[in-house]
Amino acid sequence: MEQTRNLDPKVRECIRKRGFAELSEIQSLALPQVQAGKHLILIAPTGTGKTESAMIPVLDALLKGRSAGFSALYITPLRSLNRDMLQRLSWWCTELGITVGVRHGDTTATERRKQALSPPELLITTPETLQALFMGKVLRKHLRNIRYVIVDEIHELAGGKRGAQLTVALERLAEYCGEFQRIGLSATVGNPGEMGRFLCGERDFSVVEVDVSKHLDISVEFAGDSFEKQARWIEEAMDRHGSTLIFVNTRVTAEALGHQLFSRGDVDVHHGSLSREVRIDAEERFKAGQLRGLICTSSMELGIDIGHIEHVIQFGSPREVSRLVQRVGRAGHSLYETSRGTILATGFDDLLESLVIARRAKAGEVEDVHPPLNPADVLANQVAGMAVEYGRISRERIRRIIGRCSTFSMAGDLLDRVCTQMAEHRLIRLDGDEVITTLRARRYLAANLSMIHDERKVQVFDMVSRRTVGTLDESFVVGSVYTGAVFITKGQLWRVLDLEEGRIIVEPARRVKGELPSWEGEQIPVPFAVAREVGELRRTRSFPAYDAGGPSDRFASAFLAEMDRNRSRVPDDRLIMLESGQEGVVCNCCAGHRANEALGRAISVLLSARFGTTVGIEIDAYRILFRLPSHVAAADVRDVLVGLDPAHVEGILQIAMKRTALFKWKLVQIAKKFGAIDPDADYERLSSYRLIELFENTVVQQEAYRELFSVYMDVPAAARVLAQVRDGSIAVEIGRLSILGADGLFSSRDQMPPPLTDQAVLSTLRRRIEGQEIILACMNCRKWKSRTVAGRVQEHPVCPRCGARLIAVLKPWEEPLYAVAAKKEKSGEEKAVEARLFRNANIVLSGGKKAVLTLAAKGVGPEIASRILATLTDGDAFFAEILKAERNYIRTRKYW
Amino acid sequence: MTLGFFGGGPALLVSNTMRVLSVADLHLGIESDLARHGLHFRSRSRDRLERLEACINDAAPDLLIILGDLKHGVPYTSRQEFREIPGIVERLRSLVPVRIVPGNHDTGIERFFEPEEILPKEGAVVDGTGYVHGHMYPDPSLAGHLIIAGHHHPLASLRDEVGCAMRSPVYLFSPANEQCLGFPPGDRESTRVLFMPAFNELSGYDLVRTVRDPFSPLSRCIRWDAAEVFLPDGTFIGPVSSLEEYGADQEP
Repeated sequence: MEQTRNLDPKVRECIRKRGFAELSEIQSLALPQVQAGKHLILIAPTGTGKTESAMIPVLDALLKGRSAGFSALYITPLRSLNRDMLQRLSWWCTELGITVGVRHGDTTATERRKQALSPPELLITTPETLQALFMGKVLRKHLRNIRYVIVDEIHELAGGKRGAQLTVALERLAEYCGEFQRIGLSATVGNPGEMGRFLCGERDFSVVEVDVSKHLDISVEFAGDSFEKQARWIEEAMDRHGSTLIFVNTRVTAEALGHQLFSRGDVDVHHGSLSREVRIDAEERFKAGQLRGLICTSSMELGIDIGHIEHVIQFGSPREVSRLVQRVGRAGHSLYETSRGTILATGFDDLLESLVIARRAKAGEVEDVHPPLNPADVLANQVAGMAVEYGRISRERIRRIIGRCSTFSMAGDLLDRVCTQMAEHRLIRLDGDEVITTLRARRYLAANLSMIHDERKVQVFDMVSRRTVGTLDESFVVGSVYTGAVFITKGQLWRVLDLEEGRIIVEPARRVKGELPSWEGEQIPVPFAVAREVGELRRTRSFPAYDAGGPSDRFASAFLAEMDRNRSRVPDDRLIMLESGQEGVVCNCCAGHRANEALGRAISVLLSARFGTTVGIEIDAYRILFRLPSHVAAADVRDVLVGLDPAHVEGILQIAMKRTALFKWKLVQIAKKFGAIDPDADYERLSSYRLIELFENTVVQQEAYRELFSVYMDVPAAARVLAQVRDGSIAVEIGRLSILGADGLFSSRDQMPPPLTDQAVLSTLRRRIEGQEIILACMNCRKWKSRTVAGRVQEHPVCPRCGARLIAVLKPWEEPLYAVAAKKEKSGEEKAVEARLFRNANIVLSGGKKAVLTLAAKGVGPEIASRILATLTDGDAFFAEILKAERNYIRTRKYW
Repeated sequence: MTLGFFGGGPALLVSNTMRVLSVADLHLGIESDLARHGLHFRSRSRDRLERLEACINDAAPDLLIILGDLKHGVPYTSRQEFREIPGIVERLRSLVPVRIVPGNHDTGIERFFEPEEILPKEGAVVDGTGYVHGHMYPDPSLAGHLIIAGHHHPLASLRDEVGCAMRSPVYLFSPANEQCLGFPPGDRESTRVLFMPAFNELSGYDLVRTVRDPFSPLSRCIRWDAAEVFLPDGTFIGPVSSLEEYGADQEP
């Protein structure tokens, strides 16, 4: 315990009382560094005494130099973690006589007032509440003596906008109290250096890391692909090991598995949709040993203390290495004990993916965390925050403050563009270089402390019955609901017709192929590197080298052997297979969800432009299904894929995404952060179909693209695949639909409308004309007429009476003309009618069905019909000619 | 008589013995009202004026008729309107003689126009065509004419085979039920109504909703079964019933 020698005796006494015979690895590594005053990133699994390793020296320092106001901030991403931390740190603080408090959204007004009057030395809080601290005059005063800021679970924050907001807040803080020591606590990440830059900007920092991988004991099992067998396997594993955490990827799976295991009486379910009371009750019972198994989602990943865990089961592939490490890391934990975890794989893709992720976890190949670069809406939010904080502040100073964050260190002219945009929405005023607060800015800030978008309820409105049939969470809508998508609510199927802000317009749907989006939406994407390695494993088939057990090896080998027997080529990391099936073309491409999303959308928009048809796409980590009309073949998809220039992908996607519901929702969320739209705005006031145009070429639109292209899809990875297709290191082949191509659970669906909005017009025109009632009348025998609709007429209509093909096409109201033509004696006028009908019939004789369709159009007589037919156009171009003719006709008096 | 469609407006040119250009529902000042409801955008009045000037340039009309709801605030006149409208009206006057048929939002419009520029609220016949805003029963003198009306902001959704919707402002054309409008019987041409799309790009009201719940005398007195829909550039879409494709494949 020699590291503790220069600690205050009271602190040493506490360590003894806590029963720490010796410091843990992370503690002994971190302690001297913290004492030396260095900025620090501490990387270690949850429960290894990471918090104490930072807090022991901080508490020690607090004892040594006391001052008024807050002295240290402990920031965690969750309120529940705050509560947990308060419990843990209260003991230390009471023993040492240091005041401690917690402040977050749930803190009562009384408590807040007390804190304003006598601020605790150690304040536990969330990034959002830190924002609020800058708003009050009294609280701001208490910020002057802060010497330490500890950010817990920093890997959770760094990858998103909350983290970007937090780093700006830290620089704003430094304006009050000067430099303070920064300590970040993180789970294992691939790029600890980036975490350090994220927290400290340009300042020097050290990284202290405990290698988790050597303490991980991970295996992959396969128990058959039926859910019952899998549940039974889990039961047996629970009986073998004792206290078990069972991680699942979705809430629906959690509920389903819970349903299977409830009868045991010692299993419960824990996920975000359950109320806080229910969750805390489950945590307590698990901690007390009353529960043997707890089925949970990512809700249990973070460091909430639930006592000793013997074994972690991951049900289905964990999708990401970091997730697996984090989850399995919850087991064991008396510091040096190993953590035991088992992945129960559920199918072919799932098994290979699990093997790859397990190998990478053991080798310490954890994913990087990518902090967003220059998120404009965060900047807008922070500019508003500083405007309110200072009343009036120069852009020069703002630029200096944000420039210290790595997130905004290369912002260029972004600040000016953001300020101009905000001023347009009257959130701030600009006076030369100065930013001036407005009355609205304070109100805005109160509603926008958080970069987490507040979950609004979205109404589901049935177009047919014209009533509201239910509500959905906004996040579900953003993740899973697109124009054309089908989903279930209230036990019924609905198809989405349109999304307006605040409501979804739907119609009842009959049925749909494939899996339906559930309440979940929380799709965890498989990273590019993992998907590539799965492709490699498909190629090498070296399952034993991946420590696959007997059942796993046999299942995977048998699956591939069947592919061989069927003469289906196995798509892998060097082969993209395009397989034609009934529903369209499956593009088997091992590139992960986000790269496939980018590829799929880019290819589909090109296909829809080339063939003038809507293309539906569905995506998973290993395949893209293009729903295509029958005349578009796999070879057409190949041509587009091979011809796609990697450098053009982003540009194509910008056009492609613009009309999607996802883009619209993103845009609205970002516009809210710019103060364009209040949280309680009455969207009914604005015909929202034009909303997108209001943000054309603005920084708001740019941010929506930035977020889509970095969070929802991986454009650089997609470009890499295309580059490899170009240089031949990835081959593209065509085949029939294989069992592998048909496999897999499609879960992300969307439709790419063709770029011409005219398509909808032409489709409507075509439907109308084909549905137009007409009368076919024989001009040869003049004794046969028949009423039908234009679309039903055969290619060359024939008179059933005389066999002639001289058939005139009449509109219903022209029917009396036929009687005129049949007359023996005709007046001059009547002769003219007859001549007209003859010309009409002659056109049908030579033009066939196309002539029939032409003559069914509004105001199109024989003259115009022959002019249209003479253009020799087909398909959409043909209908476009009809459209032009109608447009001419209706400009005339005769019409109106 | 011929009609010219200016899709960039939308604006409509009626050519008979003279050329009359009409636009409806500019709703100048809508932004200050939106702001009161939580939507904060800069004023786009200037853009609207430029669009209208372009239509006037293209159409070279002898007369401009504003079919009501030039302004947005009702029953007050907002600061934004006081600031912007005089200049806009002045600019239009300098290009072409202007008339306005006041709409329900045009309270206090007398302030901005000369008395002779203001036509009766109940509508007027100009060069053989009737013009009315559309929120009141039209004057009987409009009977037997084509009546051009605003007020309804018709907006339609079009779908292709896969269901992707395009939304567009539209014209709506229909024979009128003269008895319902209170027109005396007479030997003359039948009365027809042409509803114009709103000129204000932020306004739009789903046509199908108007069909189901007609909210004005005019929309209650037209024959919806015979009503036809046109795009702002004059493209004929089809009868209103063809828009109600919604739910075509629903279960019984």
